[in-house]
Amino acid sequence: MPIREDRHTPEVLAEEELAGYLALAATEPLHALADAIIASSPGLRVLAGPTVGTARYDVREPVEAIRFGLVEVLITNAEVELEGSHGWATRLGDDRVGTLSAAICDAEVQRNGPLADSVRALCELVRTDLAEQHARRWAELLPTVVHFEELDR
Amino acid sequence: MGYVAARGGTEAIAAAEELVCRSRLQAGASWLELDQLTERLRYLNDRVMGEGGLWAPLLAARAIRQAEGDVIEAAHLLRAHRSTLPRLCELIPADADELRPLRRIVPAFREVPGPQLLGRTLDYTGRLLDLGDEDQARAAAAAATAAAAARHPGDDPDEYDGATEPPFPERLLDVLRRTDLAVDRRRGDDPEPTDISQVAVRPGIGRSAVLSVMARAETGALVNLWYRNILGPDNHLHEVTLGEVRHGELPIRVSHPRTGNPVLIGHLRATEVEAIEDLDGADEDRTRFDVGYGLVAGHNERKAIAMANLDIALHRDRSDSGLEQAVLMTTDGLDASGFLEHLKLPHYVTFRSMIERKQAMRTDRARNERKGRRQHTAPAVAPAAPATQPAAVAVGEVTP
Repeated sequence: MPIREDRHTPEVLAEEELAGYLALAATEPLHALADAIIASSPGLRVLAGPTVGTARYDVREPVEAIRFGLVEVLITNAEVELEGSHGWATRLGDDRVGTLSAAICDAEVQRNGPLADSVRALCELVRTDLAEQHARRWAELLPTVVHFEELDR
Repeated sequence: MGYVAARGGTEAIAAAEELVCRSRLQAGASWLELDQLTERLRYLNDRVMGEGGLWAPLLAARAIRQAEGDVIEAAHLLRAHRSTLPRLCELIPADADELRPLRRIVPAFREVPGPQLLGRTLDYTGRLLDLGDEDQARAAAAAATAAAAARHPGDDPDEYDGATEPPFPERLLDVLRRTDLAVDRRRGDDPEPTDISQVAVRPGIGRSAVLSVMARAETGALVNLWYRNILGPDNHLHEVTLGEVRHGELPIRVSHPRTGNPVLIGHLRATEVEAIEDLDGADEDRTRFDVGYGLVAGHNERKAIAMANLDIALHRDRSDSGLEQAVLMTTDGLDASGFLEHLKLPHYVTFRSMIERKQAMRTDRARNERKGRRQHTAPAVAPAAPATQPAAVAVGEVTP
Protein backbone atom coordinates (compact mmCIF):
# COMPACT_ATOMS: atom_id res chain seq x y z
CA MET A 1 0.00 0.00 0.00
CA PRO A 2 1.78 3.16 -1.14
CA ILE A 3 1.60 6.36 0.86
CA ARG A 4 -1.67 8.10 0.32
CA GLU A 5 -1.48 11.76 -0.42
CA ASP A 6 -5.14 12.53 0.19
CA ARG A 7 -6.19 14.22 3.40
CA HIS A 8 -6.27 12.20 6.57
CA THR A 9 -5.73 12.87 10.22
CA PRO A 10 -2.44 11.85 11.84
CA GLU A 11 -4.29 9.51 14.23
CA VAL A 12 -5.27 7.10 11.46
CA LEU A 13 -1.78 6.54 10.07
CA ALA A 14 -1.43 2.91 9.09
CA GLU A 15 1.81 1.23 10.15
CA GLU A 16 3.08 1.29 6.58
CA GLU A 17 2.29 4.98 6.17
CA LEU A 18 4.06 5.78 9.44
CA ALA A 19 7.14 3.83 8.35
CA GLY A 20 7.01 5.48 4.93
CA TYR A 21 6.88 9.02 6.27
CA LEU A 22 9.65 8.24 8.75
CA ALA A 23 11.70 6.95 5.82
CA LEU A 24 11.18 10.19 3.92
CA ALA A 25 11.61 12.68 6.80
CA ALA A 26 14.77 14.77 7.03
CA THR A 27 17.41 13.41 9.40
CA GLU A 28 17.68 16.43 11.71
CA PRO A 29 14.08 16.60 13.04
CA LEU A 30 14.00 12.81 13.38
CA HIS A 31 17.21 12.89 15.38
CA ALA A 32 15.90 15.62 17.68
CA LEU A 33 12.66 13.74 18.23
CA ALA A 34 14.46 10.45 18.93
CA ASP A 35 16.73 12.18 21.46
CA ALA A 36 13.66 13.54 23.25
CA ILE A 37 12.03 10.08 23.25
CA ILE A 38 15.13 8.44 24.71
CA ALA A 39 15.39 11.13 27.36
CA SER A 40 11.86 10.37 28.55
CA SER A 41 12.03 6.56 28.11
CA PRO A 42 15.29 4.95 29.20
CA GLY A 43 14.24 1.40 28.27
CA LEU A 44 15.72 1.37 24.77
CA ARG A 45 17.34 -1.73 23.30
CA VAL A 46 18.84 -1.77 19.83
CA LEU A 47 17.90 -5.13 18.33
CA ALA A 48 19.63 -4.76 14.97
CA GLY A 49 21.79 -2.25 13.18
CA PRO A 50 21.79 0.37 12.05
CA THR A 51 23.20 -1.61 9.14
CA VAL A 52 24.15 -0.12 5.80
CA GLY A 53 23.77 -2.44 2.84
CA THR A 54 22.19 -2.94 -0.53
CA ALA A 55 18.86 -4.21 -1.78
CA ARG A 56 18.09 -5.59 -5.22
CA TYR A 57 15.68 -3.52 -7.27
CA ASP A 58 13.77 -5.45 -9.93
CA VAL A 59 11.39 -3.94 -12.45
CA ARG A 60 8.68 -5.71 -14.42
CA GLU A 61 9.08 -4.65 -18.03
CA PRO A 62 6.11 -4.37 -20.39
CA VAL A 63 7.17 -6.42 -23.44
CA GLU A 64 7.28 -9.95 -21.97
CA ALA A 65 6.05 -8.88 -18.51
CA ILE A 66 9.16 -10.38 -16.91
CA ARG A 67 11.20 -8.94 -14.05
CA PHE A 68 14.84 -7.95 -14.41
CA GLY A 69 17.39 -6.40 -12.08
CA LEU A 70 17.72 -2.70 -12.85
CA VAL A 71 20.14 -1.68 -10.11
CA GLU A 72 20.88 -2.17 -6.44
CA VAL A 73 19.87 0.46 -3.93
CA LEU A 74 21.84 1.62 -0.90
CA ILE A 75 19.70 1.40 2.24
CA THR A 76 20.07 1.44 6.02
CA ASN A 77 18.05 -0.80 8.38
CA ALA A 78 17.51 -0.65 12.13
CA GLU A 79 15.29 -2.35 14.71
CA VAL A 80 14.80 -1.33 18.32
CA GLU A 81 12.72 -2.21 21.33
CA LEU A 82 11.43 0.66 23.44
CA GLU A 83 9.77 -0.22 26.72
CA GLY A 84 8.77 -3.55 25.18
CA SER A 85 7.46 -2.10 21.89
CA HIS A 86 9.07 -2.97 18.60
CA GLY A 87 10.35 -0.23 16.29
CA TRP A 88 11.64 -0.66 12.75
CA ALA A 89 12.95 1.59 9.99
CA THR A 90 14.52 1.40 6.57
CA ARG A 91 15.80 4.54 4.87
CA LEU A 92 17.59 5.21 1.59
CA GLY A 93 21.33 5.82 1.57
CA ASP A 94 23.94 5.52 4.28
CA ASP A 95 21.98 7.19 7.07
CA ARG A 96 22.63 5.43 10.38
CA VAL A 97 21.54 8.30 12.61
CA GLY A 98 18.34 8.94 10.65
CA THR A 99 17.42 5.25 10.48
CA LEU A 100 18.00 4.53 14.17
CA SER A 101 16.05 7.69 15.00
CA ALA A 102 13.18 6.60 12.73
CA ALA A 103 13.06 3.16 14.39
CA ILE A 104 12.86 4.84 17.82
CA CYS A 105 10.05 7.10 16.59
CA ASP A 106 8.22 4.06 15.18
CA ALA A 107 8.47 2.29 18.55
CA GLU A 108 7.20 5.40 20.32
CA VAL A 109 4.05 5.36 18.20
CA GLN A 110 3.62 1.59 18.65
CA ARG A 111 3.59 1.96 22.43
CA ASN A 112 1.57 5.21 22.18
CA GLY A 113 4.22 6.93 24.26
CA PRO A 114 4.19 10.55 25.42
CA LEU A 115 5.83 11.80 22.21
CA ALA A 116 3.73 9.69 19.83
CA ASP A 117 1.70 12.72 18.78
CA SER A 118 4.90 14.61 17.99
CA VAL A 119 5.96 11.75 15.73
CA ARG A 120 2.56 11.79 14.01
CA ALA A 121 2.84 15.57 13.59
CA LEU A 122 6.24 15.15 11.95
CA CYS A 123 4.69 12.60 9.58
CA GLU A 124 1.93 15.04 8.72
CA LEU A 125 4.55 17.68 7.96
CA VAL A 126 6.37 15.26 5.67
CA ARG A 127 3.08 14.48 3.91
CA THR A 128 2.26 18.13 3.24
CA ASP A 129 5.84 18.90 2.17
CA LEU A 130 5.75 16.05 -0.33
CA ALA A 131 2.41 17.15 -1.72
CA GLU A 132 3.75 20.71 -2.14
CA GLN A 133 6.91 19.48 -3.81
CA HIS A 134 4.90 17.40 -6.28
CA ALA A 135 2.56 20.29 -7.04
CA ARG A 136 5.46 22.73 -7.48
CA ARG A 137 7.28 20.38 -9.80
CA TRP A 138 4.17 19.75 -11.87
CA ALA A 139 3.66 23.50 -12.16
CA GLU A 140 7.20 23.76 -13.56
CA LEU A 141 6.62 20.91 -16.00
CA LEU A 142 3.21 21.98 -17.30
CA PRO A 143 4.48 24.72 -19.64
CA THR A 144 6.55 22.07 -21.42
CA VAL A 145 3.46 20.14 -22.58
CA VAL A 146 3.28 20.39 -26.37
CA HIS A 147 0.05 21.81 -27.81
CA PHE A 148 -0.08 20.99 -31.50
CA GLU A 149 -1.72 23.30 -33.99
CA GLU A 150 -2.97 21.80 -37.24
CA LEU A 151 -1.90 23.80 -40.24
CA ASP A 152 -4.27 24.60 -43.11
CA ARG A 153 -3.80 22.39 -46.12
CA MET B 1 69.69 -12.43 -20.68
CA GLY B 2 68.00 -14.45 -17.95
CA TYR B 3 65.10 -13.53 -15.68
CA VAL B 4 65.99 -12.15 -12.26
CA ALA B 5 63.22 -11.73 -9.71
CA ALA B 6 63.02 -8.15 -8.49
CA ARG B 7 60.96 -6.09 -6.13
CA GLY B 8 60.57 -2.39 -5.60
CA GLY B 9 58.38 0.55 -6.37
CA THR B 10 56.42 0.53 -3.13
CA GLU B 11 57.74 3.91 -2.10
CA ALA B 12 57.19 5.33 -5.57
CA ILE B 13 53.61 4.01 -5.62
CA ALA B 14 52.92 5.56 -2.21
CA ALA B 15 54.43 8.86 -3.37
CA ALA B 16 52.35 8.81 -6.54
CA GLU B 17 49.18 8.23 -4.54
CA GLU B 18 50.18 10.98 -2.13
CA LEU B 19 50.71 13.31 -5.10
CA VAL B 20 47.18 12.56 -6.35
CA CYS B 21 45.64 13.12 -2.91
CA ARG B 22 47.61 16.32 -2.32
CA SER B 23 46.71 17.69 -5.74
CA ARG B 24 43.07 16.92 -5.08
CA LEU B 25 43.18 18.88 -1.84
CA GLN B 26 45.33 21.72 -3.17
CA ALA B 27 43.60 22.18 -6.47
CA GLY B 28 43.71 25.96 -6.30
CA ALA B 29 39.93 26.03 -6.18
CA SER B 30 37.31 25.87 -3.46
CA TRP B 31 36.38 22.45 -2.08
CA LEU B 32 33.96 20.56 -4.30
CA GLU B 33 30.83 19.89 -2.26
CA LEU B 34 28.81 16.76 -2.94
CA ASP B 35 25.63 18.72 -3.69
CA GLN B 36 27.49 20.52 -6.49
CA LEU B 37 27.81 17.15 -8.15
CA THR B 38 24.36 15.74 -7.36
CA GLU B 39 22.49 18.92 -8.28
CA ARG B 40 24.62 20.57 -10.97
CA LEU B 41 26.20 17.59 -12.73
CA ARG B 42 23.20 15.29 -12.60
CA TYR B 43 23.91 13.44 -15.85
CA LEU B 44 27.39 12.58 -14.64
CA ASN B 45 26.14 11.42 -11.25
CA ASP B 46 23.35 9.37 -12.84
CA ARG B 47 25.73 7.74 -15.28
CA VAL B 48 28.11 6.66 -12.52
CA MET B 49 25.22 5.13 -10.55
CA GLY B 50 23.88 3.34 -13.61
CA GLU B 51 27.23 1.92 -14.66
CA GLY B 52 28.29 1.26 -11.09
CA GLY B 53 25.04 -0.65 -10.53
CA LEU B 54 24.21 1.11 -7.26
CA TRP B 55 21.61 3.81 -6.65
CA ALA B 56 23.37 5.98 -4.05
CA PRO B 57 23.58 9.63 -5.17
CA LEU B 58 25.91 10.83 -2.43
CA LEU B 59 28.29 7.89 -2.76
CA ALA B 60 28.37 8.41 -6.54
CA ALA B 61 29.26 12.07 -5.97
CA ARG B 62 32.05 11.03 -3.62
CA ALA B 63 33.33 8.57 -6.22
CA ILE B 64 33.34 11.24 -8.95
CA ARG B 65 35.21 13.65 -6.71
CA GLN B 66 37.73 11.00 -5.70
CA ALA B 67 38.21 9.94 -9.33
CA GLU B 68 38.66 13.59 -10.36
CA GLY B 69 35.87 13.26 -12.91
CA ASP B 70 36.99 9.97 -14.49
CA VAL B 71 33.59 8.33 -15.10
CA ILE B 72 34.80 4.76 -15.46
CA GLU B 73 37.02 5.08 -12.42
CA ALA B 74 34.12 6.50 -10.41
CA ALA B 75 31.83 3.64 -11.50
CA HIS B 76 34.61 1.22 -10.55
CA LEU B 77 34.90 2.77 -7.08
CA LEU B 78 31.15 2.57 -6.59
CA ARG B 79 30.89 -1.03 -7.76
CA ALA B 80 33.88 -2.05 -5.65
CA HIS B 81 32.31 -0.40 -2.61
CA ARG B 82 29.03 -2.16 -3.30
CA SER B 83 30.81 -5.50 -3.24
CA THR B 84 31.86 -4.83 0.37
CA LEU B 85 28.30 -4.27 1.57
CA PRO B 86 25.86 -6.89 2.78
CA ARG B 87 22.70 -7.39 0.81
CA LEU B 88 20.01 -6.63 3.36
CA CYS B 89 16.85 -7.51 1.48
CA GLU B 90 15.06 -7.57 -1.84
CA LEU B 91 12.90 -4.59 -2.57
CA ILE B 92 9.37 -5.07 -3.81
CA PRO B 93 9.59 -5.19 -7.62
CA ALA B 94 8.26 -2.13 -9.36
CA ASP B 95 6.17 -2.17 -12.50
CA ALA B 96 7.42 0.01 -15.33
CA ASP B 97 3.91 1.45 -15.55
CA GLU B 98 4.48 3.03 -12.13
CA LEU B 99 7.08 5.43 -13.53
CA ARG B 100 5.88 8.95 -12.76
CA PRO B 101 7.07 10.98 -15.76
CA LEU B 102 9.16 14.10 -15.51
CA ARG B 103 9.52 13.94 -19.26
CA ARG B 104 7.59 11.91 -21.81
CA ILE B 105 7.71 12.13 -25.57
CA VAL B 106 6.34 9.75 -28.19
CA PRO B 107 8.28 10.30 -31.43
CA ALA B 108 6.17 7.71 -33.28
CA PHE B 109 2.75 9.20 -32.76
CA ARG B 110 1.38 12.68 -32.17
CA GLU B 111 -1.97 11.96 -30.56
CA VAL B 112 -1.25 9.52 -27.79
CA PRO B 113 -3.05 9.10 -24.48
CA GLY B 114 -1.53 11.66 -22.12
CA PRO B 115 0.71 14.60 -22.84
CA GLN B 116 3.81 15.02 -24.94
CA LEU B 117 5.74 16.41 -22.00
CA LEU B 118 9.13 17.79 -23.01
CA GLY B 119 10.28 18.33 -19.44
CA ARG B 120 13.84 19.47 -18.86
CA THR B 121 15.54 19.18 -22.23
CA LEU B 122 17.66 21.02 -24.78
CA ASP B 123 16.79 18.55 -27.54
CA TYR B 124 15.22 21.24 -29.72
CA THR B 125 17.67 24.04 -28.96
CA GLY B 126 20.83 25.01 -30.81
CA ARG B 127 24.08 23.95 -29.19
CA LEU B 128 25.72 27.27 -28.41
CA LEU B 129 28.43 27.52 -25.82
CA ASP B 130 27.37 29.98 -23.12
CA LEU B 131 30.11 32.61 -22.98
CA GLY B 132 28.16 34.90 -20.67
CA ASP B 133 29.68 36.85 -17.82
CA GLU B 134 30.34 34.68 -14.74
CA ASP B 135 29.26 37.31 -12.22
CA GLN B 136 25.99 37.84 -14.05
CA ALA B 137 25.43 34.09 -14.12
CA ARG B 138 25.97 33.87 -10.35
CA ALA B 139 23.52 36.73 -9.78
CA ALA B 140 20.97 35.08 -12.06
CA ALA B 141 21.37 31.77 -10.20
CA ALA B 142 20.78 33.47 -6.85
CA ALA B 143 17.71 35.29 -8.19
CA ALA B 144 16.27 32.07 -9.65
CA THR B 145 16.77 30.26 -6.36
CA ALA B 146 15.00 33.04 -4.44
CA ALA B 147 12.12 33.12 -6.93
CA ALA B 148 11.67 29.34 -6.70
CA ALA B 149 11.56 29.51 -2.91
CA ALA B 150 8.89 32.23 -3.05
CA ARG B 151 6.71 30.38 -5.54
CA HIS B 152 3.74 28.47 -4.17
CA PRO B 153 1.80 25.59 -5.64
CA GLY B 154 -1.17 26.97 -7.48
CA ASP B 155 0.60 30.17 -8.56
CA ASP B 156 0.62 28.78 -12.05
CA PRO B 157 -2.95 28.48 -13.32
CA ASP B 158 -2.08 25.93 -16.00
CA GLU B 159 -3.28 22.40 -15.69
CA TYR B 160 -3.42 19.32 -17.82
CA ASP B 161 -6.81 17.64 -17.68
CA GLY B 162 -7.23 19.04 -14.18
CA ALA B 163 -4.25 17.07 -12.89
CA THR B 164 -2.24 18.52 -10.04
CA GLU B 165 0.69 16.23 -10.66
CA PRO B 166 2.09 14.31 -13.63
CA PRO B 167 -0.29 11.63 -14.88
CA PHE B 168 0.62 8.02 -15.64
CA PRO B 169 -0.17 7.98 -19.37
CA GLU B 170 -0.94 4.73 -21.15
CA ARG B 171 2.14 3.53 -23.00
CA LEU B 172 2.19 3.35 -26.80
CA LEU B 173 2.83 -0.40 -26.67
CA ASP B 174 -0.53 -0.86 -24.93
CA VAL B 175 -2.21 1.31 -27.56
CA LEU B 176 -0.69 -0.85 -30.31
CA ARG B 177 -1.80 -4.02 -28.53
CA ARG B 178 -5.30 -2.64 -28.08
CA THR B 179 -5.52 -1.99 -31.81
CA ASP B 180 -3.99 -5.40 -32.59
CA LEU B 181 -0.95 -3.82 -34.20
CA ALA B 182 1.71 -5.29 -31.91
CA VAL B 183 2.89 -8.83 -31.37
CA ASP B 184 1.90 -9.81 -27.84
CA ARG B 185 4.88 -11.49 -26.20
CA ARG B 186 3.65 -11.26 -22.61
CA ARG B 187 4.41 -14.42 -20.68
CA GLY B 188 1.99 -16.11 -18.35
CA ASP B 189 4.68 -17.32 -15.97
CA ASP B 190 6.83 -15.15 -13.75
CA PRO B 191 10.40 -16.45 -13.99
CA GLU B 192 12.83 -15.46 -11.27
CA PRO B 193 15.20 -12.86 -12.74
CA THR B 194 18.88 -13.66 -13.04
CA ASP B 195 21.07 -11.75 -10.62
CA ILE B 196 24.09 -10.75 -12.71
CA SER B 197 26.04 -9.74 -9.62
CA GLN B 198 25.96 -13.41 -8.53
CA VAL B 199 26.02 -15.31 -11.82
CA ALA B 200 28.54 -15.15 -14.67
CA VAL B 201 26.73 -14.15 -17.83
CA ARG B 202 27.19 -16.24 -20.96
CA PRO B 203 25.23 -16.38 -24.23
CA GLY B 204 21.93 -18.16 -23.80
CA ILE B 205 21.49 -16.94 -20.23
CA GLY B 206 18.05 -15.44 -20.84
CA ARG B 207 16.50 -12.06 -21.44
CA SER B 208 16.32 -10.85 -17.83
CA ALA B 209 20.11 -11.13 -17.56
CA VAL B 210 20.63 -9.47 -20.92
CA LEU B 211 18.45 -6.54 -19.87
CA SER B 212 20.38 -6.25 -16.59
CA VAL B 213 23.71 -6.32 -18.41
CA MET B 214 22.59 -3.54 -20.74
CA ALA B 215 21.17 -1.50 -17.84
CA ARG B 216 24.63 -1.64 -16.21
CA ALA B 217 26.63 -1.32 -19.44
CA GLU B 218 28.99 1.53 -20.24
CA THR B 219 27.02 4.16 -22.15
CA GLY B 220 29.57 4.64 -24.91
CA ALA B 221 29.94 0.90 -25.44
CA LEU B 222 26.20 0.40 -25.87
CA VAL B 223 25.83 3.39 -28.19
CA ASN B 224 28.82 2.22 -30.21
CA LEU B 225 27.42 -1.30 -30.52
CA TRP B 226 24.13 0.15 -31.74
CA TYR B 227 25.96 2.36 -34.24
CA ARG B 228 28.09 -0.52 -35.56
CA ASN B 229 24.88 -2.39 -36.23
CA ILE B 230 23.09 0.49 -37.92
CA LEU B 231 25.87 1.98 -40.06
CA GLY B 232 28.87 -0.21 -39.41
CA PRO B 233 29.88 -3.68 -40.46
CA ASP B 234 27.66 -5.69 -38.09
CA ASN B 235 24.35 -4.72 -39.68
CA HIS B 236 21.94 -6.52 -37.36
CA LEU B 237 19.71 -3.50 -36.74
CA HIS B 238 17.12 -1.57 -38.65
CA GLU B 239 16.51 2.07 -37.95
CA VAL B 240 13.50 1.70 -35.68
CA THR B 241 10.88 4.22 -34.60
CA LEU B 242 10.82 5.17 -30.95
CA GLY B 243 7.57 4.77 -29.06
CA GLU B 244 7.89 5.99 -25.51
CA VAL B 245 10.88 8.01 -24.30
CA ARG B 246 10.35 8.73 -20.62
CA HIS B 247 12.36 9.98 -17.70
CA GLY B 248 10.68 9.81 -14.34
CA GLU B 249 10.51 8.37 -10.86
CA LEU B 250 9.93 4.77 -9.82
CA PRO B 251 8.82 3.89 -6.29
CA ILE B 252 11.18 2.09 -3.91
CA ARG B 253 9.23 -0.15 -1.51
CA VAL B 254 10.09 -2.67 1.17
CA SER B 255 7.86 -5.11 3.00
CA HIS B 256 6.86 -4.03 6.48
CA PRO B 257 8.22 -6.63 8.93
CA ARG B 258 5.10 -6.59 11.11
CA THR B 259 2.33 -6.41 8.50
CA GLY B 260 4.01 -7.69 5.34
CA ASN B 261 2.50 -4.78 3.42
CA PRO B 262 4.55 -2.50 1.14
CA VAL B 263 6.17 0.62 2.57
CA LEU B 264 7.21 3.39 0.21
CA ILE B 265 10.66 4.58 1.34
CA GLY B 266 11.57 6.78 -1.63
CA HIS B 267 12.05 6.94 -5.36
CA LEU B 268 14.77 6.49 -7.92
CA ARG B 269 14.84 8.11 -11.31
CA ALA B 270 15.02 6.04 -14.48
CA THR B 271 14.87 6.45 -18.25
CA GLU B 272 12.60 4.22 -20.29
CA VAL B 273 12.39 3.68 -24.05
CA GLU B 274 10.23 1.58 -26.37
CA ALA B 275 11.69 0.84 -29.82
CA ILE B 276 9.07 -0.16 -32.38
CA GLU B 277 10.30 -2.58 -35.00
CA ASP B 278 8.63 -2.97 -38.38
CA LEU B 279 8.66 -6.77 -38.78
CA ASP B 280 9.64 -7.82 -42.29
CA GLY B 281 11.15 -11.27 -41.96
CA ALA B 282 9.80 -14.21 -43.91
CA ASP B 283 8.90 -16.06 -40.73
CA GLU B 284 7.56 -12.98 -38.91
CA ASP B 285 4.06 -11.55 -38.61
CA ARG B 286 4.40 -8.69 -41.07
CA THR B 287 0.97 -7.30 -40.20
CA ARG B 288 2.21 -6.31 -36.74
CA PHE B 289 5.01 -4.43 -35.03
CA ASP B 290 7.27 -5.75 -32.31
CA VAL B 291 8.85 -3.73 -29.54
CA GLY B 292 12.23 -3.61 -27.83
CA TYR B 293 12.62 -2.24 -24.34
CA GLY B 294 15.21 -0.14 -22.57
CA LEU B 295 15.27 0.96 -18.95
CA VAL B 296 18.30 2.40 -17.20
CA ALA B 297 18.85 4.00 -13.81
CA GLY B 298 19.01 7.79 -13.84
CA HIS B 299 18.57 10.14 -16.76
CA ASN B 300 20.45 8.67 -19.72
CA GLU B 301 18.37 8.70 -22.89
CA ARG B 302 21.17 7.70 -25.27
CA LYS B 303 21.81 4.52 -23.33
CA ALA B 304 18.13 3.63 -22.96
CA ILE B 305 17.54 4.14 -26.70
CA ALA B 306 20.52 1.94 -27.61
CA MET B 307 19.32 -0.69 -25.12
CA ALA B 308 15.79 -0.79 -26.56
CA ASN B 309 17.14 -1.09 -30.11
CA LEU B 310 19.52 -3.89 -29.14
CA ASP B 311 16.77 -5.68 -27.19
CA ILE B 312 14.54 -6.04 -30.23
CA ALA B 313 17.55 -6.86 -32.44
CA LEU B 314 18.53 -9.67 -30.05
CA HIS B 315 14.99 -11.02 -30.07
CA ARG B 316 14.89 -11.14 -33.86
CA ASP B 317 18.45 -12.42 -34.13
CA ARG B 318 17.76 -15.50 -31.98
CA SER B 319 21.44 -15.66 -30.99
CA ASP B 320 22.51 -16.57 -34.50
CA SER B 321 24.99 -13.80 -35.21
CA GLY B 322 27.12 -13.22 -32.16
CA LEU B 323 25.24 -10.05 -31.28
CA GLU B 324 24.23 -11.51 -27.92
CA GLN B 325 27.84 -12.37 -27.21
CA ALA B 326 28.85 -8.82 -28.09
CA VAL B 327 26.23 -7.37 -25.74
CA LEU B 328 27.01 -9.71 -22.87
CA MET B 329 30.79 -9.85 -23.13
CA THR B 330 31.95 -6.46 -24.41
CA THR B 331 29.72 -3.68 -23.05
CA ASP B 332 30.66 -3.66 -19.37
CA GLY B 333 32.79 -0.60 -18.74
CA LEU B 334 34.75 -2.10 -15.89
CA ASP B 335 35.53 -5.29 -17.78
CA ALA B 336 36.70 -3.44 -20.89
CA SER B 337 38.64 -0.73 -19.09
CA GLY B 338 40.15 -3.17 -16.64
CA PHE B 339 41.49 -5.32 -19.45
CA LEU B 340 42.72 -2.26 -21.33
CA GLU B 341 44.38 -0.66 -18.34
CA HIS B 342 46.16 -3.79 -17.20
CA LEU B 343 48.44 -3.10 -20.16
CA LYS B 344 49.97 -0.31 -18.07
CA LEU B 345 51.17 -2.75 -15.44
CA PRO B 346 54.76 -4.07 -15.66
CA HIS B 347 55.08 -6.70 -18.37
CA TYR B 348 58.84 -7.03 -17.91
CA VAL B 349 58.91 -10.83 -17.91
CA THR B 350 56.47 -11.15 -20.81
CA PHE B 351 58.39 -8.69 -22.91
CA ARG B 352 61.76 -10.17 -22.00
CA SER B 353 60.59 -13.60 -23.07
CA MET B 354 59.40 -12.06 -26.36
CA ILE B 355 62.83 -10.51 -26.89
CA GLU B 356 64.51 -13.80 -26.10
CA ARG B 357 62.28 -15.61 -28.59
CA LYS B 358 63.21 -13.12 -31.26
CA GLN B 359 66.92 -13.44 -30.41
CA ALA B 360 66.62 -17.22 -30.48
CA MET B 361 64.93 -17.06 -33.88
CA ARG B 362 67.66 -14.78 -35.12
CA THR B 363 70.36 -17.13 -33.81
CA ASP B 364 68.58 -20.07 -35.38
CA ARG B 365 68.27 -18.30 -38.69
CA ALA B 366 71.96 -17.35 -38.66
CA ARG B 367 72.86 -20.95 -37.89
CA ASN B 368 70.69 -22.15 -40.76
CA GLU B 369 72.25 -19.61 -43.09
CA ARG B 370 75.75 -20.73 -42.14
CA LYS B 371 74.68 -24.30 -42.60
CA GLY B 372 73.16 -23.43 -45.96
CA ARG B 373 76.31 -21.71 -47.08
CA ARG B 374 78.34 -24.75 -46.14
CA GLN B 375 75.96 -26.97 -48.01
CA HIS B 376 75.98 -24.62 -51.04
CA THR B 377 79.71 -24.64 -51.25
CA ALA B 378 79.93 -28.34 -50.41
CA PRO B 379 79.92 -29.91 -53.96
CA ALA B 380 83.59 -29.14 -54.42
CA VAL B 381 84.31 -31.01 -51.24
CA ALA B 382 81.35 -33.42 -50.86
CA PRO B 383 79.27 -34.05 -54.05
CA ALA B 384 76.50 -35.97 -52.24
CA ALA B 385 75.16 -32.93 -50.20
CA PRO B 386 72.84 -30.98 -52.66
CA ALA B 387 69.89 -33.32 -52.11
CA THR B 388 69.50 -32.05 -48.49
CA GLN B 389 69.90 -28.28 -49.12
CA PRO B 390 67.10 -26.06 -47.80
CA ALA B 391 64.93 -24.88 -50.69
CA ALA B 392 65.00 -21.31 -49.40
CA VAL B 393 68.70 -20.87 -49.85
CA ALA B 394 69.32 -19.34 -53.24
CA VAL B 395 72.65 -19.09 -54.95
CA GLY B 396 72.44 -15.29 -54.97
CA GLU B 397 72.12 -15.09 -51.15
CA VAL B 398 75.43 -16.77 -50.61
CA THR B 399 78.00 -14.31 -49.43
CA PRO B 400 81.69 -14.81 -50.10
